[in-house]
Amino acid sequence: MLTTVEKIIFILAALTSVGFTYHGFKTIVDSIRKGRPAPELKDIPGSLVKAGVAVLFQQTIFKARKVLSAIHMGLFFGLITYAFVNLTDALEGLIPGFDLVYGGKNIPFKFLPAGVINTFNLIADVMSGILLFAIIVMFVRRFITKDKALTFRDNILLNPKVLAGAQARDSLIVDVFVVMHVGARLLSQAYRLNEGPDPFMPIASFLNSMVGSSEVGVHVAWWVSLGWVMFIIPYLSRSKHTHFFMSPINLGLAKQNPRGQLDPAVPLKVIEGTRFDPGAKHVHDLAWTRVLDAYACVQCNRCQDVCPANFYQRPLSPSALEVNKRYLLKEATFGSHPEKLLLPLTETVISPEAVWSCTTCYACVRVCPVGNEPMADIVDIRRRMLIDGYEIDSGVQNALQSLATNGNWMSKGKRLRGKWAKEMEFPVKDATAEPVDHLWFVGDTASFDERVIPNTKMVARIFNQAGLDFGIMYKEESNAGNDVRRVGEEGLFEQLVEQNMAAFGKSQFQRIVTTDPHSFNTLKNEYPQFGGQWEVKHYTVTLLRLFEEGKLTVKNKLSNYKVTFHDPCYLGRYNGGFTAPRKLLELLGVEFHEMPRNCENSFCCGAGGGQIWMGKVAPGERPAENRIKEALTTFESNASDKKQLFIVTCPKDMIMYSDAVKTTGNEGRIEVRDIIQLIAEAVGVEEPAVAEAVAA
Amino acid sequence: MNIVVAIKHIPSIADDLPVSGNNVDFDSVDFVLNEFDEQSIEQAVLVKEAVGGTVTVVGVDLIEELDNILHLAIAKGADKAVKVTADEPGADSHMQAKWLSEAIKGLSPDIVFAGVQASNDLDGQIGPMIAAHLDMPYIGGVSSVEVADGTATVNKEFAGGVGAKYSVSLPMVVGVQAAAKPPRYAPISKVRQVAQTATIDTVEPSGDASSGLTFKKMAPPVATGHAEMIDGSPKEVAAKIVELLKSKGLA
Ligand code: SF4
Ligand code: SF4
Repeated sequence: MLTTVEKIIFILAALTSVGFTYHGFKTIVDSIRKGRPAPELKDIPGSLVKAGVAVLFQQTIFKARKVLSAIHMGLFFGLITYAFVNLTDALEGLIPGFDLVYGGKNIPFKFLPAGVINTFNLIADVMSGILLFAIIVMFVRRFITKDKALTFRDNILLNPKVLAGAQARDSLIVDVFVVMHVGARLLSQAYRLNEGPDPFMPIASFLNSMVGSSEVGVHVAWWVSLGWVMFIIPYLSRSKHTHFFMSPINLGLAKQNPRGQLDPAVPLKVIEGTRFDPGAKHVHDLAWTRVLDAYACVQCNRCQDVCPANFYQRPLSPSALEVNKRYLLKEATFGSHPEKLLLPLTETVISPEAVWSCTTCYACVRVCPVGNEPMADIVDIRRRMLIDGYEIDSGVQNALQSLATNGNWMSKGKRLRGKWAKEMEFPVKDATAEPVDHLWFVGDTASFDERVIPNTKMVARIFNQAGLDFGIMYKEESNAGNDVRRVGEEGLFEQLVEQNMAAFGKSQFQRIVTTDPHSFNTLKNEYPQFGGQWEVKHYTVTLLRLFEEGKLTVKNKLSNYKVTFHDPCYLGRYNGGFTAPRKLLELLGVEFHEMPRNCENSFCCGAGGGQIWMGKVAPGERPAENRIKEALTTFESNASDKKQLFIVTCPKDMIMYSDAVKTTGNEGRIEVRDIIQLIAEAVGVEEPAVAEAVAA
Repeated sequence: MNIVVAIKHIPSIADDLPVSGNNVDFDSVDFVLNEFDEQSIEQAVLVKEAVGGTVTVVGVDLIEELDNILHLAIAKGADKAVKVTADEPGADSHMQAKWLSEAIKGLSPDIVFAGVQASNDLDGQIGPMIAAHLDMPYIGGVSSVEVADGTATVNKEFAGGVGAKYSVSLPMVVGVQAAAKPPRYAPISKVRQVAQTATIDTVEPSGDASSGLTFKKMAPPVATGHAEMIDGSPKEVAAKIVELLKSKGLA
């Protein structure tokens, strides 16, 4: 089809395009390689294949925004089809007489059967329509209806380029590309139809009925279509649409360790002559897999949507973190500002206040369609800020200091930890002194907080009633360190682990049970790295087993209660503990209603990652308050006059939500209870009468 | 500039205080750094950061556990640490002031910081006594210190929101109520690193200056009554209170 001159121009242009593309991707790969060693990944080819399949079926994007995800799916399949279309288009240009219309009947040599070509033509034609439709929806969403989900709140630190609208510009370029490219391609086919409509090319045939056929038209449209491709491919490496290539790779290289196991503060891999400081100050202090995150990021803001800190008007957006990383890297590697790489991340990527707003709820990582881990970056930044002597919140500092001296964050003496147990009407075994089957790791809040202790005692009574052989470690137990680690105090975390390991070493037990999801998480997922290999159970699992084994029986069905259940982040999203609490509630016979945000998509109470220690409380609706409203709305659509309960299985939740019920003025409408309170009622275990009579 | 901080290791009151015989049961109590000493270490480090010099922290090792505290002080910015090995958990403030002074003398200090008081003796004596032993001026209740050209500008706070500013020629002893900034946090990894690398100088206690006081008896206060919780609606509660007052002849 092309003249010789055109062919020469085409080949030169294609080579140039390849050159720029190579340079683009080499720059990206070099920048990624500058990151720190990441935790070892196993079977990379296997997980890349798995990721490829996930991408092919677009599985990961459907975790949120179903309709938009379906439209993205159209875009995705359209562009995949077009990769082949571009190939056949190039052949049409370069090989005389190579023409796919009418089943390829004009092709002068034996190519493919007409049936195959017709199928291809049909797919290409229909996909062109879908592509145009999808891109127009995306365009309208960003530029006409201006979907709020694509914007950042004013208090969030943004790269100057992003503030100036670089994301919108990138999107516009790609939108225009798709429209021009697909439109021109359709036209080039329409102009070829000089023998009337081709039933396998309905859209092109329709266009042909309007524009007719034209040899010049074929040339012009062909050049527009393929010219754009040669421009856009190298451009992609420099724009946010690098995600076309980087997302599948990133997904294949995503975190393989358990969700609840943080990467170490310093890479485990030793490199001769390199000494790593803990955590991250600069972008290349991050593990290379997390530098890659920035290139893989779709900039879709799905993570921002689910972020409780963002909801709470805090200056934190996990997506802004990735977007800022991306533009920082771009300015430094493609632009003329390599020195910007040496600016602290707290100036370029995320504000210090935002760093300290994260609840480490994992919602952002869970929802991300491309396997990014903004939360891990935040923890690494905290780690370095602590080492560098950044002035932390006074409440957090007090908590850490108390943890260092007393082993708990409440400035209570070690000996007071088992005080509640000594007040019990039956002896609670000291696991450090006599063998027990279940070692109950109680945790700080359940041991010391007056508001939670009645529930702690009730757990002991129920265990006792069921004949469970259990004991606690009294003064030998220290805080497990889950939140300490997530605040970034790695050294203190290690100290606490050592203290607990020493205590475990003194004790004889078969398995660990804990009432605290935070302790549960680190004991289960992180202690093994320090040699602590035990079976660790959350008390809901232990209780369910006691029911199933007939050691506990429901005497009174609780059908007078209408309840909903809050999945604690560290039990649910982190460790998949969704079923035991729900099965227990079913056994108890309550009327159960699920809140819209449940299980994997549960909404954090706002206490995790050290937030409960914060001295300053920010204004605005708190996540826990929003959650109480969600529960009430759930109940409203199932109206009845039963007593409405908000069930928790985490001591911190007990405190957070009891407060939230008060501050939202909903006392009397909804009550927060630990699941153990319901169980006590159902199995008929009561507090001994003397306990409450006189307060001395 | 030679900056010295005198610190005190005291029984923790995070637990109920165990008593045995006529004193605290020192074997079953944890020892912690006096909280005002945390402030005075911070103030000393702030002065060093402003004008340069070295900060030396000096304390009496009562139960052979002072090293942790000294390591913490170094992690927070002190340069040297000295411990007086007394092994006498009940040493009173007179004895400690004497031993500390003897240890501090050799350091030829330009300024000495001490916490304004500690919760065990609660007499605020250590600072003034060190000043007396070293023959230096003393100001207590201090909330910030700045040093320039051999003179310290010291802010002191009085009750009722009145403050005073003093200019004192060095050397002097300062009793710190609060540092100009909240004490900084020392990450444990740093403290542990210090513990592996730092050396602590040891001196024997010298000089005897017991207060001459002896404990006759120490016991937790005896509860002399109990609170009665009144339940019911506000009206019922009010009625019960009136009844109660009447029954006691108060209304
Ligand atoms: S972990 Fe939770 S709070 Fe932290 S950035 Fe992610 S979504 Fe937000
Ligand atoms: S990090 Fe993931 S979820 Fe967040 S904007 Fe990027 S791609 Fe979307």
